[in-house]
Amino acid sequence: MSADISDRPPGEPAGASDEQLQNIHSILLREKPEPTEGYSPLPLMLLGLMSGLVFFSAIYLGRYSGGFDPLVYDERILPGMLEAGGPPAAQDPKIIGKRVFTNCATCHQTTGLGLPGAYPPLAGSEWAQGTENRIIRILLNGLSGPITVESKSFNNSMPAFGPLLRDDQIAAVLTYVRSEWGNNAPPVSPDKVKDIRAAVASRSGPWSPDELLKIP
Amino acid sequence: MANAQTLAASLNPATSPDTVARAELREIDASARWPVIIFLVSGLIWLLIGTGFALISSIKLHTPDFLGDYQWLTFGRARTAHLNSVIYGWSTNVAFAVAFWLMARLSRAKLRHGGLLIVAACFWNLGVTIGVIGILAGDSTSIEWLEIPPYATPLLFVAYALVGVWAIITFRFRKSEHVYVSQWYLLAALFWFPWLYSVAQIMLIFEPARGTVQALVNWWFAHNVLGLWFTPIGLAAAYYFIPKVLGKPIHSYYLSVLGFWSLAIFYNWAGVHHLIGGPVPAWVISAGIAASIMMVIPVVVTAINHHFTMVGSFGALRSSPTLRFVVFGAVNYTLVSLTGSAMAIRGFNEVTHFTHFTVAHAHQGMYAFFTMVMFGSVYYIMPRLLLKEWPSATLIRTHFWATAIGITFYWVELSIGGWIQGTEMNNASIPFIDVVQHTIPYLFLRSVSGIVITIGHVAFAINVVWMLFARRPAGATAPTLFHPPAALQPTPAR
Amino acid sequence: MNRGPLIFLGIFFALAFSWTGVVLTNQIQFGSLTPFYDQNDGKTYPEKRSGLAERGRLVYQDLGCLYCHSQQVRRPGFGADTERGWGDRQSVARDYVNDKRVYLGTMRTGPDLRNIGARQPSADWHYLHLFDPRLTSPGSIMAPFGFLYEYRKVLGERSPKALKLPADYARRRGLDQPGYELVPTPRAEALVAYLLSLKDTYDFPEAKPYVPKTGGGAK
Repeated sequence: MSADISDRPPGEPAGASDEQLQNIHSILLREKPEPTEGYSPLPLMLLGLMSGLVFFSAIYLGRYSGGFDPLVYDERILPGMLEAGGPPAAQDPKIIGKRVFTNCATCHQTTGLGLPGAYPPLAGSEWAQGTENRIIRILLNGLSGPITVESKSFNNSMPAFGPLLRDDQIAAVLTYVRSEWGNNAPPVSPDKVKDIRAAVASRSGPWSPDELLKIP
Repeated sequence: MANAQTLAASLNPATSPDTVARAELREIDASARWPVIIFLVSGLIWLLIGTGFALISSIKLHTPDFLGDYQWLTFGRARTAHLNSVIYGWSTNVAFAVAFWLMARLSRAKLRHGGLLIVAACFWNLGVTIGVIGILAGDSTSIEWLEIPPYATPLLFVAYALVGVWAIITFRFRKSEHVYVSQWYLLAALFWFPWLYSVAQIMLIFEPARGTVQALVNWWFAHNVLGLWFTPIGLAAAYYFIPKVLGKPIHSYYLSVLGFWSLAIFYNWAGVHHLIGGPVPAWVISAGIAASIMMVIPVVVTAINHHFTMVGSFGALRSSPTLRFVVFGAVNYTLVSLTGSAMAIRGFNEVTHFTHFTVAHAHQGMYAFFTMVMFGSVYYIMPRLLLKEWPSATLIRTHFWATAIGITFYWVELSIGGWIQGTEMNNASIPFIDVVQHTIPYLFLRSVSGIVITIGHVAFAINVVWMLFARRPAGATAPTLFHPPAALQPTPAR
Repeated sequence: MNRGPLIFLGIFFALAFSWTGVVLTNQIQFGSLTPFYDQNDGKTYPEKRSGLAERGRLVYQDLGCLYCHSQQVRRPGFGADTERGWGDRQSVARDYVNDKRVYLGTMRTGPDLRNIGARQPSADWHYLHLFDPRLTSPGSIMAPFGFLYEYRKVLGERSPKALKLPADYARRRGLDQPGYELVPTPRAEALVAYLLSLKDTYDFPEAKPYVPKTGGGAK
């Protein structure tokens, strides 16, 4: 690393200053050698673990493959099982009613208290606990116009659920509403819903509260 | 710059082959300087941008009216901008940088045609920039992990084609007979990524498949970006830096082989676990679950390999920033992967699917594993490229503790919040709005941990910029470590 | 493991294996699933969306709704999807054959929306909810989409599409100026049309619920 020209190999240009070389050398020399691999043998425990996992996965795949049928979405089904179950048992109307009510809860809230100024309450509502002739019609065709519920006035629209819900679902949700949050009114039967649906079959458009008040 | 032979000879004409080898590495580093620096700096800029979008999105979840008037920042767009900035901006840029440097070093071949890579960097970053702006403007495709609008993707393809060509050239001209484990992972990652991306682009955007076949392609693609692109590069880095910093060999070659091939075969089937319970055939879901369980094998194998390499040298964690970040990452790789295998089991999945638990898991994987390993890699690579040391050990310390504490707190608390959310969601008597309300404290804590992580990023950025503009030191330099290594500690006088 | 070509072959077949199994096989098995023709109704299900609803789908896409809302109902007994009224049955692939882009989603920060059109058929509710979610759902953390609406001077008659805000809310937000109304923009109308079109109410044969046999004979 001396500055004497005669020390340099002939024709080789000075690539770097002495200081730079010194710097490079320090970084270069402190680095450890490039990594290599050792050759320790595989632990036996690992082979045991692997076999266990392969076995488990194979059984899992065999059981839950649904026969590799693209139309099987429920992993519990195996080929030949599709018709085995039979119709599901009839469910308690209160359970169905509560489930259907999640549709209503977006406006009337899960507490049944509604939203002041926007959606009427159902808890303690004289409409909900009143004659079923009116509330079945509201569910089938919807409601629109000024209405007074529990001495508060509302003026909004409720959509029709007739095309979206079956008779037993309408009966179930009305039964639920009439017996929840301290409400106490007799249940509604699916047959009654069926009769009224037939009676209003020709009607299109929502009811107004005035029209409904005329119905006994 | 003098070549390796004369450099080594300048030390002493009778230099050992070992020193000649190191001088060769010096040359390789010099050839890699500009391409790697450009990718690293681009990555850093995207890290800061992505962190910004992360904070905005996180705050919007517990304070929804925050910046609520701006359509371009609505949660659906801000969150997507965050994801794409950190995946295609930060993570992929730094992955390219680390991959090239490792490939060049391990092939013992100079990075030829570095100009190719600089052009690739420009195309890639231009594509991602246009893509993220497009997302904010409303052109997101809403296909998870593939949201960049189709008008930006040709730029990404050009960039990647250049990268692919270059990688093959470098490997082709390798001098080493033995192909080290990291190189298998790098080659695999560089080959798999364009295949995944192309299939996804074709079958989801250009000639979309019908119905839920789209969902299968989407999650085959997205999960494999994680498992077959980022994970191999992270593992390649860990397999290089742990033995390199310690000066010890990797524990077992046989474990490396087993780990690599089991990862290759099982990881890419696991993506279907994102669709458990969904409208796709039960058989493909069960296959995905089986593969996710089988992933325990490569994870355990890698953990054994790394652990037994480290055994006896844990003291080095006190001093080396590289080792600390990389080992933190490797430990989290094991944890997050085992959690992932558990999450694929149907009973577990019933609770965690669709909840913040999944978000916590994703961040543990991409950040606590991948990003931390990349940080460690950058701390090793930069001094060798720039021939300068890191200006401030305090900033490195701040960076480490802020990010390590931040991300650990993040995934732990959000996992708890997500588990509670899932359990309550499965109980139909709890109104949905209550389930949402109960997650809010955890979402708030996530914003807090995000701020802590941001502090770490700022410390990192300052250190990098300072280092880039610092003057090259004249004399010999010592590495910037947390503490002086034990070997150099002064022994007390007897 | 030192031969480049061998490593490459292994890498290739590893991904080819899953590409064939996950992508190709399923594309072959159900990639050409068609809507189901019902003899009694004379209609095919699922029904096609209206043009306005298709435009709304693009609004759903550009605002990133799927990052908080899923669109898939899991089977009864796996989670509480059907108990919560999010659907009557598990969603099947055929439900999505008419969807140009499928937004299954992976997060339920908000409820599943696959059947929101059946569950909440009131357009007025949706307009209010999108304007300010906390108006109809106190405690919600959903983003407000006020930019999908216009607060403008009434031209002649009030628009029938004007939002009916509760009086004290309008007062608080300064939206009760006389002679002014809050109306949805065409993007809001399209989005609401899309949401209302989301209902998978038809019972396909392959969607019949599976009831496990309980001891003895089934029938």
